[in-house]
Amino acid sequence: MRGLIGKMGGHSNWPEWIYVGIVIALMTWVGAEAWEAERLVEHVPEDAETIIVTGQQWFWTFEHEDGTVEMNDLHVEVGKAYKFEIVATDVIHSFNIHDYVVLMDAVPGRVNTVWFAPDAPGVHDIQCREYCGLIHYNMRGTLYVEEPSS
Amino acid sequence: MKGIVGLFLVLAVLVLVPAVESALAAGDEPGEYLDRRVVIWNLFFRMMTVMFTVGAVVSGTMIWLVWRFRESHPKAKPTAYEGTDW
Amino acid sequence: MVLELQKPRPIWQIMFSTHHTDVGLLYLIMSLGFLFLGGTLALAIRAELFLPGAQIITDSMTFNRIFTVHGTTLIFLFILPFASAVGNYYVPIMVRYKDMAYPKLNAIAFWMIPPSGALIWLGFADFTWYATPPYSVISAPGPAADMWIFGLKILGISSVLGAINFIVTILKCKHPDMSIGQVPLLAWSFLSSSLIILVAIPTFAAALLMLLTDRLGVSGFFNPAMGGDPIAYAHLFWFTFHPEVYVLVIPAIGMMYEIIPRFSRKPIYSYNSGIFAFVLLSIVGFSSWAHHMFATGMSFTEKTVFMIGTLAAVPASAMHVFNFIATMWNGRIKFSTPMMWSVGGIALFFGAGAGGVVNSAMPLDFSTHDTYWVVGHFHLFVMGTIAFGSIGFLYYMFPYVTGRMYNEAMGKVHFFLSFIGTILVFFTQHVLGLYGMPRRVFDYPPIPEWIAMNQIATIGAMIIGVSMAVFLYNIIYSSGKGELANTDDPFGLGGKYYFPFEAKNPSH
Repeated sequence: MRGLIGKMGGHSNWPEWIYVGIVIALMTWVGAEAWEAERLVEHVPEDAETIIVTGQQWFWTFEHEDGTVEMNDLHVEVGKAYKFEIVATDVIHSFNIHDYVVLMDAVPGRVNTVWFAPDAPGVHDIQCREYCGLIHYNMRGTLYVEEPSS
Repeated sequence: MKGIVGLFLVLAVLVLVPAVESALAAGDEPGEYLDRRVVIWNLFFRMMTVMFTVGAVVSGTMIWLVWRFRESHPKAKPTAYEGTDW
Repeated sequence: MVLELQKPRPIWQIMFSTHHTDVGLLYLIMSLGFLFLGGTLALAIRAELFLPGAQIITDSMTFNRIFTVHGTTLIFLFILPFASAVGNYYVPIMVRYKDMAYPKLNAIAFWMIPPSGALIWLGFADFTWYATPPYSVISAPGPAADMWIFGLKILGISSVLGAINFIVTILKCKHPDMSIGQVPLLAWSFLSSSLIILVAIPTFAAALLMLLTDRLGVSGFFNPAMGGDPIAYAHLFWFTFHPEVYVLVIPAIGMMYEIIPRFSRKPIYSYNSGIFAFVLLSIVGFSSWAHHMFATGMSFTEKTVFMIGTLAAVPASAMHVFNFIATMWNGRIKFSTPMMWSVGGIALFFGAGAGGVVNSAMPLDFSTHDTYWVVGHFHLFVMGTIAFGSIGFLYYMFPYVTGRMYNEAMGKVHFFLSFIGTILVFFTQHVLGLYGMPRRVFDYPPIPEWIAMNQIATIGAMIIGVSMAVFLYNIIYSSGKGELANTDDPFGLGGKYYFPFEAKNPSH
């Protein structure tokens, strides 16, 4: 084995340094781009309507600003921004509208927020993405995006 | 060698400065509903483009290596260490 | 030492031995046993997900128990003990010592694993391998959950004992003629992964105790109803288990460092950069744990810090890949089975790493977190890189352990089927995740894309299953009836091997 190490070296290390430099540059680019995108999506518009989302085994409850409460179905309107305040009553769930890339854990004892602005009428799936027990696989709801009522 | 270092420094600065600038300039306009799908999926596809390019280079290199330096290749020749107790 | 089937000994002589190769053999056999047990569960999971609705598993509770035990088994009862097996065989020889530093401790560390395996398998807990509170505190049915906690507790102690033994063997028992800078990279990989274990495991050990007392109702560390915080558990857990990822991957890379130069008939390109990358990885590995928790409501600053910490681990991993490529360059490579597994493992390592970078880029976490993307990503690591490196090394050790050669054709069939299967299962799962399928689900709505991709993944898993059957037949048949190996140069490569035979301890 000593022979193996003894014969080491004897080659230039520059290729490796350049390679490491390229990797570091790539990672810097990834980090900068991700940082920028995160900054953009975290900026909640001031006029966003609040919807309180409650996750519990194994269904979702939605409470609108006007006091209407919906279970598993959520009706929103095109052209408005909505801010979800997500809470849980028993175990950790994760509120997810995959079509709108909305995802935030519902953690008991915490209020997490995430916002989105639907841009076209349609029907989308709501699901739980954090393991929460027996019926986790079927803890699903539906998002109805409707034309503005007024 | 110093020339290469200098070149890479210049290239790094050329990439980094606009990235930092655009990062600091954008973002705080209130009232405008930006579409998180667009932002996130754009980021995703940009990264995938880079990842697949790098992946093609890395796996292309490996496939060539495996093809060229297999012992059954016509041009394969013993390495300097063969026959020794390395 | 070994050559067990040529010079048979009563089994109790091996079982009660403290010699490093005997303990290594025990580790090896046990870890392979758990590989096949855990793999069977994986096939059950894939069969269940072939179509929406219940297929072979009738209820979601059974399904949840199966994927929990599948994960726990393959991580803690296959990958870790397999690495210990390799370490036991090779580390003392590489540092030129007669045995491990503490032979009895070594045997004790091994014998703690079967009871903990029994606890995990007889309990069959359902709270996923990461036992999230408050689910694990208020909702998971006992006694399975408590048995799992005790099982993991024992496993943690066993890992710490094993790690101490490796560290002392390498640092204190190496031959005085040998400086630490001459210890082979495989031994260096055990040194760095053992140091990670020593720093990381106690945190999880504490978290497990708190989880247990929470379950007993006497404390409320993680129970929000009693003023606790479930996110605290997530921090403690991932502080241990993100570095643990490196504990799993570093020995596998070390095994590739043993195989690739050997089969390229060239020394490693840069021994020093190998050491540097190991040490760097084991330090930087501690700065990234909370990237598993981006969706739990962390602040922007926290997320930025942990994203940078995660990206910082990439250059170190990339240095290993460079080293492997540069070693193979200009070699005369013999593609025996071990080399095929190693090269396949490196090829998949890139895919796994790229997926990890995407996960850690903060906003992308919203689309990938807790979907099948994550499942595909980490399986590409544990199967594509770690298991590939380990299985390659098993083929490499085979003639040393049994004195016979495995069947080369079957070994190659095993490799190609596994490689194709791995790509089919885990790359497809990445895409499935982008379509939004959550992980840990027993059933899914009949969305055509989901069904198609689940079916591809299941077919891939079945291909891996077939390859593993070939593997099982090969090792069992060849160890008894295989061709006798030329024990001086089993692979016909020339040069000097590390030779476990020479390590025979005269007192055994």
